[in-house]
Amino acid sequence: MKLSKITFSESAREDILNLYGKSIDEEGFIVEKENFSQRVLTPQGEEIRLEEWAGIRKGSEAFIKNDIFSLIELAKKLD
Amino acid sequence: MIEVKDENRLTLDLSKASEEEKKKIKENILDPLIQRQEEVFLIDDSSQKTQKIKQNLPDDNDESLLKFYKDKLKPEWYKALEASIILRNAFKKGHDVTELKRDISRRYPLFGNNLCNLTTEGYFDTHFKQLYNDMIEEDFDILVYQKKVERIITSLPYTVFVTRFKTYDQLSSEVVFKLERLKRYGTGRLLLHGIGRENVSTTLVLLDEYEAEKTITIQKDINLKETIITATLIF
Repeated sequence: MKLSKITFSESAREDILNLYGKSIDEEGFIVEKENFSQRVLTPQGEEIRLEEWAGIRKGSEAFIKNDIFSLIELAKKLD
Repeated sequence: MIEVKDENRLTLDLSKASEEEKKKIKENILDPLIQRQEEVFLIDDSSQKTQKIKQNLPDDNDESLLKFYKDKLKPEWYKALEASIILRNAFKKGHDVTELKRDISRRYPLFGNNLCNLTTEGYFDTHFKQLYNDMIEEDFDILVYQKKVERIITSLPYTVFVTRFKTYDQLSSEVVFKLERLKRYGTGRLLLHGIGRENVSTTLVLLDEYEAEKTITIQKDINLKETIITATLIF
């Protein structure tokens, strides 16, 4: 697994989420577009706010938080 | 829509793309990257942050240190230690670590900042290791060790570490300085902590300076072999 050389700007966050069937609830958490009551979770089981969201990877571990702890786990898996 | 940041990075900005264009970008760029090539697609800042973390992952010495503490610290303290070691590596290389430190403090508000500082200053390489090695020679309970470590870390702003790397005058001045500051702003107690016979002796001499002080009560906790001391000055 590697980091893509294509990144996205902060302003593109909502657009990218929208493209992948996600939206934002009134408290700022990322939710399933089809079911606003279902908040998406990180691999660690944490709900995630829009401003905390770092990006996507393949599979069920799709949602990555932008904090050092989530990114350490990601960095360990990179080639 | 696509900005070239440097020769190695392209950044997507969809603010001016139509809905149709966004869908095409997903089908033709994002999905192939994520699904087939198994690339991780991140916000620009997060990508840089991840690269910084990757460059500073624990080396062999760090791994050895982490292995030592793996079964000795509570899981969240261990996680904070691992993150702090990475931060230390980045700091030594001159990287900006503000955001990394903020992450640690936010996740662990009670102890994150202090643990991070103590890691950078090498206390987990020396002091807390020695504490464990000294404690294990006597009637040992890992929970007591954990409590001692936690107490020291959470009380860092009002702790004086008695070490042989400081002169007696430096230590004495530090006690005076912290006492005065704590009397004005603090919680009414100052901890002195020393490991090793020499430091225990030094601590006792420091405490002698306050024996006659009517406004200060001294509590001493010394192990049987007199190699570990935690003293509290209560005022």
